[in-house]
Amino acid sequence: MSDTPRRFPAALFARGQEPDPRFTLANERTFLSWIGAALALIAAGVALEALGLGLTSGLRIAASMLLIAAGIATPVQAWLGWYCTELALREGRPLPAPFLVAPLALVVVAAGVLVALGVLLR
Amino acid sequence: MSGPTGPAAPDCGRGRDGDSGRDRVWNAGLQPERTALSWRRTGLALLGGSLLLARVLAEVSVPLALTVGALGLLASIAILVAVERRYRSHHLRLTAAGGQRVTLAGGALPLLVAATTVVLGCVAAIAAILLSLRVS
Repeated sequence: MSDTPRRFPAALFARGQEPDPRFTLANERTFLSWIGAALALIAAGVALEALGLGLTSGLRIAASMLLIAAGIATPVQAWLGWYCTELALREGRPLPAPFLVAPLALVVVAAGVLVALGVLLR
Repeated sequence: MSGPTGPAAPDCGRGRDGDSGRDRVWNAGLQPERTALSWRRTGLALLGGSLLLARVLAEVSVPLALTVGALGLLASIAILVAVERRYRSHHLRLTAAGGQRVTLAGGALPLLVAATTVVLGCVAAIAAILLSLRVS
């Protein structure tokens, strides 16, 4: 197509061909779900410190930092996941699995354990 | 009860004159509309998150809170405006082409939103450290 507008990132849109628009839109919504998860993790980390809740301070700070760190890492998954999925759609390949799922689940479990210990040991 | 010819029967968009296709949805699954709502939700969550963060920071430093609040407000409004433009452009391109090999918008806005979220997270980490220093 000669009237195709230039799109960012050019390296992605130079490859393959336009997929079904519904798949591109679904990929966007998955990206936005990851951003929502990131915002929730950040909010949980800040809320722990802002509210205090009478938890043991060391455990509370550790849980808060863990949650916020996960919230900073999640947008990276969101962007790379969007990029790799869009590329796979354009080239007609199987979709990639999200790479940050297992570490993220571990971090959330660890934060939960820290908060539980903070409640028990206060 | 009034019958099907009653006064309150809605026309559900059937009676539009000069049916160019633009007034109709592109897809019965409302895919562009659901995507637009998802974008709008994310933009509002960023707005709410940055204002909440500013409110929490005000306990530690008011100038810092005002800076974070103002920057968060500006960034969120810019994203929400871009989101509306993105939906409008998608709708026009999709209804014009009938869904055949359409060029949709690229990854600039997703990257901007992801980067904004990372920045918000870094400010949140600083806020949490300042709060923990104040409490103990």
